[in-house]
Amino acid sequence: MRKFLLVLALIVVTVFIFAQAPKRGGVLYDYWTSDRMIFDPQEDTYLQTYGMARLLFSTLVRYKGETLELEPELLVKMPEISQDGLVYTFELKKGIKFHDGKTELTSDDVKFTIERMLSPKGRGASKWLFEPILGATAFKNGESTSLEGFKKIDDYKFQIILEKPYAPFLQNLAVPAASIFSEKLVKAAGESWRLKPVGTGPFRLKTHTPNTEIVFERNPYYFEPGLPYLDSIVYRIVPDSTVALMEFEAGTLDVVTIPVLEYERIKKSGKYNIIEKEALNTYFFIMNLKDPKWSNPLLRKAMALAINKQEMAQSLFGPRAVVAKSFVTPGIPGAYPLGEGPAYDYNPEEARKIVAQLGNIGKVTAWQSGGDTLSQANIIIQAMAKEVGIDLEIVPIERAAFRQARNEGKIPAGYGNWWADIPDPDNYIEVFFGRDNQMSSGYNNEEVQEMIEKASIEVDPQKREEMYRQIEYKILREDVAIIPLFHLKYLLATQKNVHGVIAHPTGITLYLYAYKQ
Amino acid sequence: MIQYIVRRLIFSIPVVIGVTLITFVLLNVVPGDPVLEMVGKHADPQTINQIREQLGLNDPLVIQYLRFVFNAARGDLGKSFKTGIPVSKMIGDTFPTTLKLALSAYLVAIILGVSVGIISAVKQYSLFDHSMMIVALAGISAPVFWVAVIAQLIFGLKLGWFPISGYYSVKHMILPAIVLGTRFAASIARYTRSALLDVIRQDYIRTARAKGLSERAVIFIHALKNAMIPVVTILGMQLSGLLTGSILTESVFAIPGLGRLSLWALSERDYPLVQGVVLFTAVIYILGNLIVDISYAFLNPRIRLK
Repeated sequence: MRKFLLVLALIVVTVFIFAQAPKRGGVLYDYWTSDRMIFDPQEDTYLQTYGMARLLFSTLVRYKGETLELEPELLVKMPEISQDGLVYTFELKKGIKFHDGKTELTSDDVKFTIERMLSPKGRGASKWLFEPILGATAFKNGESTSLEGFKKIDDYKFQIILEKPYAPFLQNLAVPAASIFSEKLVKAAGESWRLKPVGTGPFRLKTHTPNTEIVFERNPYYFEPGLPYLDSIVYRIVPDSTVALMEFEAGTLDVVTIPVLEYERIKKSGKYNIIEKEALNTYFFIMNLKDPKWSNPLLRKAMALAINKQEMAQSLFGPRAVVAKSFVTPGIPGAYPLGEGPAYDYNPEEARKIVAQLGNIGKVTAWQSGGDTLSQANIIIQAMAKEVGIDLEIVPIERAAFRQARNEGKIPAGYGNWWADIPDPDNYIEVFFGRDNQMSSGYNNEEVQEMIEKASIEVDPQKREEMYRQIEYKILREDVAIIPLFHLKYLLATQKNVHGVIAHPTGITLYLYAYKQ
Repeated sequence: MIQYIVRRLIFSIPVVIGVTLITFVLLNVVPGDPVLEMVGKHADPQTINQIREQLGLNDPLVIQYLRFVFNAARGDLGKSFKTGIPVSKMIGDTFPTTLKLALSAYLVAIILGVSVGIISAVKQYSLFDHSMMIVALAGISAPVFWVAVIAQLIFGLKLGWFPISGYYSVKHMILPAIVLGTRFAASIARYTRSALLDVIRQDYIRTARAKGLSERAVIFIHALKNAMIPVVTILGMQLSGLLTGSILTESVFAIPGLGRLSLWALSERDYPLVQGVVLFTAVIYILGNLIVDISYAFLNPRIRLK
């Protein structure tokens, strides 16, 4: 009897293990709401292109699973960093082949990739990733033909030397825009490269039918044994999110972003796997310090006290939103923990007192990106401002025009959001409040801007984190340059037989370990 | 007749030039930088300027416009800023899809619209007439995206009769064609009804009836031909409209047609593509109107004589 039970237990355990083991094969159907048409992540910085770049290409380092911890991808091990934080020594894995199965990855390809991004004649849209490298500015300006800070040791080893220490440099290398290309294959493809990309990633482009679908198939030469599990991934282009949900419920899509209003119904149905994940974003109301009216710190403080974030988050995004107390998303080293932070809490009485103190300031203006009518968020902000006596006019401006005005620093104020490229406070603070920022913050506190510059080059992690918390306190509490409102979580649903999908905090859904049971 | 067609075609040249000029001016007056749309949030001013230079956007506007006109006159509509693919190829790749959708919807619209219109006119003030005219009014008033989503929900998701969206087979075209066609059928039905009602009150119809002709012969042989003249005008205009992109229908049903392409080109500020699509649209409208005018002549010899 005991023997029989033992055998039975063994069978059960074996069945359980095999049932859980990833199954190889199958086609996964996902969707995009629009077709970016091109696949070059150096040229197109949309999240969608980045998502596809993670299928097609590889980076030197990448995020480990769904964490913010880095691990080597094309490298044998994490790079060695010199004591002064200036010299990074890298070693590539040997025998990594591009999708053609012939071309092998070498140090020259890495150099080519960096120089291509920085090239003064190219369309590299994320030069900032490699700007900390020694000689990057001279190369970018066409004053040198070879990047000074890149030293090839041999075909697999190289060094990157920075101009000055820059702590988030490795994070920069994990951004999909830093994907490594093949010099030979890019040059051979010429103009058509952006349409027919060739990388070292787990999938390769099979077909692209514009505005219909993009089909990726498994890369048989992928350097990580046994991966990926899926035979192919089909991205259908479904412009309407309601229609996408219908397709998902009909079983013709395997993954869907759940519209907020449908969240409870989808979750309660129990028919699908639900993925809820914090993401690196902050929704905010920003005020331009160079605007004649918003330059008044009392007005900005009154505005910060006027917004009931809890009510706003709940009515707009329900369970998807978490109230923000800081601008840098919690979870990032140097950010305030969730629920703590220097931002002002809702206090309409105090706001009213300040408005009374201000006297008659007349109408103040904010802009909205796109739309013919005001978005629900802006209606709420406007109503809350009115409650405390601020006459806030919000003007919808066409999306492209808004972007141009933002770059030129012309937006007086506005509701917006920021999805960070890297999990580092610099990617929030410097981008919005650094010198010459292009976010229409009009921020001009010299002392804080100096602190920002010092923090970015600090090599002691603990000291650096503390510096950013101090900076954020000054920006949010003392200068009230921005009002953080809430952070949004991912809400994804997959079919029950889909497993291993990673919703990464950077906003990219990863399919390297995905499989269909 | 050939002389007439040639004359009309020559007269349409200034119209086409006018359309391209207005489009060019509007694109450059409306704020929004195509390069910013291409490179996104982080690009530095130097890169933006370099790409502007590459694309010829730093040249004076007059030069840019003349370059477009001269190239277009030689059949070269330029390359898409974003993809680098020739504009004519992008239009050529998407137009057949729109053509299929438009013709299928057109077929639905004519069959449904004309037959409902005739029955309503013949049985004026009957229950059928009243109910059909209410349905037609609702059909004209209801937003196409709403009708589309409801149709997708019922016939796609709940009943599973048709695919919900996408463009892979003939089956994928049925639901969008019905949704789009029904909408046009509503106005065709109303036009057919009123035109036929006008005609059947004419003396020659009374004469035909007095001669003892059957009601069917009176309606189909004598009345319908004259009643169709205003209907043909509507049909011609609708065909041009259908062919030049049913943006909403194409978007909701995820059909990769000219409507979606033009929407994409506009949102990306892809100037050559926008100009190419507008030019193509203008030509389609001009040809559509020309065909309508020619068909008048066939329907009514008096117009031919004039």
